[in-house]
Amino acid sequence: MSRPIKITIVEPSLILRSGVIAVLQSLKGQSVEVFDVRDLDQLKTSPSWQRPDLLIVNPIFSLPQIKKEVGNPDVKCLALLNILLDRTLLKAFDEVISIYDTSEQIQEKLTKLLSKPLEEKHQESLSQREKEIIACVIKGMTNKQIADELHLSSHTVISHRKNIAGKLQIHSTAGLTIYAIVNKLVDLPVE
Amino acid sequence: MHNVKIRNYQADDSMSRLVNENQDALLVMSRFKIALGFGDKTIGEVCRDNHVDTNTFLAVINMSDTGLSLVAVMEYLHRSHDYFLNYRLPEIRQKLEHVLNPGQDELNKAVLGYFDKFEAAVRKHMNYESKKVFPYIQALLSHEKTEKCPLIFCKQHEQIESRLTEFKNILIKYYPAQSTNEMSSVLFDIFSCERDLESHNAVEDQLYLPAIQELERKNGQPK
Repeated sequence: MSRPIKITIVEPSLILRSGVIAVLQSLKGQSVEVFDVRDLDQLKTSPSWQRPDLLIVNPIFSLPQIKKEVGNPDVKCLALLNILLDRTLLKAFDEVISIYDTSEQIQEKLTKLLSKPLEEKHQESLSQREKEIIACVIKGMTNKQIADELHLSSHTVISHRKNIAGKLQIHSTAGLTIYAIVNKLVDLPVE
Repeated sequence: MHNVKIRNYQADDSMSRLVNENQDALLVMSRFKIALGFGDKTIGEVCRDNHVDTNTFLAVINMSDTGLSLVAVMEYLHRSHDYFLNYRLPEIRQKLEHVLNPGQDELNKAVLGYFDKFEAAVRKHMNYESKKVFPYIQALLSHEKTEKCPLIFCKQHEQIESRLTEFKNILIKYYPAQSTNEMSSVLFDIFSCERDLESHNAVEDQLYLPAIQELERKNGQPK
């Protein structure tokens, strides 16, 4: 990550705020600029800090209101969890960090959140070729046999199979069989 | 065990409070053969009453090594295996059979086939532990000479968990279920089984394996 990540923390407890800042600053290979406030009032009176990449918020605060204050409705929001809360209250958040998370877990969650927009959206529908390959796979054919049957290189077959797994989130032959029957890709499923 | 961990429990905390704050503790208790109806007794008292090693119980509850007993963990895992193989998985299969749409025999066969393959993989994995790893540990504990037993089970955990996750996703995304109430009930069971399996595996990876390796080291077992 070339530029530092701008993070705003909204948390009433000074001890928790300081702790989170210390953990964030110790993350390897990731520079952060952290701004922390106690509550919404303090956030309102700090107009200089605008458009953070990431919000870390105690879930007792109203998230829509905070998003409005920071002037970026698309900002990624993490809930900072220090009590047991009903899951529905956490739905509005993109991710949850518990005060018991290790720094590795926190780093992983941050990285995952910030790299999301770069990912292409999964395209769910399969191409004709991919459907043919599924039909072969569930007959128990090897990559080599599929390649011969469809006049492709083994390499192409492997890359098709990777795409199929990515699109359907199904990695096993048994799973593909179910998919194929539901979507009528085969007439007779083979054991 | 803990998606959101509340705190570390100690021997003088009340057992009923533990269960109220952390329902998954019920599963842990039944695997230690601790009965309910313990009133206001503390965790330590309840463990003593039920002849359970308190440190091991707390280690599993807190997922941290506080001086656990390998024998007690082994007994715990043994009951946990029994629970999955003879209760949880058969129960899910039975419900699944019940919920599948009539008249779609090929599809249903494929769905049950998937589940059976998963069940067979879990069974094979757990049987390896019961038949190979447990006797190996017994031998180490009694300082008998024994062949090194490869501790391969941890490598299979992720694979088993991801199979169940895939199965769940297939049911959610692709199975054209007609009876949604019953299907959601099966899915709730699978979700909870998934979580339970993860926590069972965490006990093995984080408490059990390190304890075995420590014992091997003490016995001067070649790596």
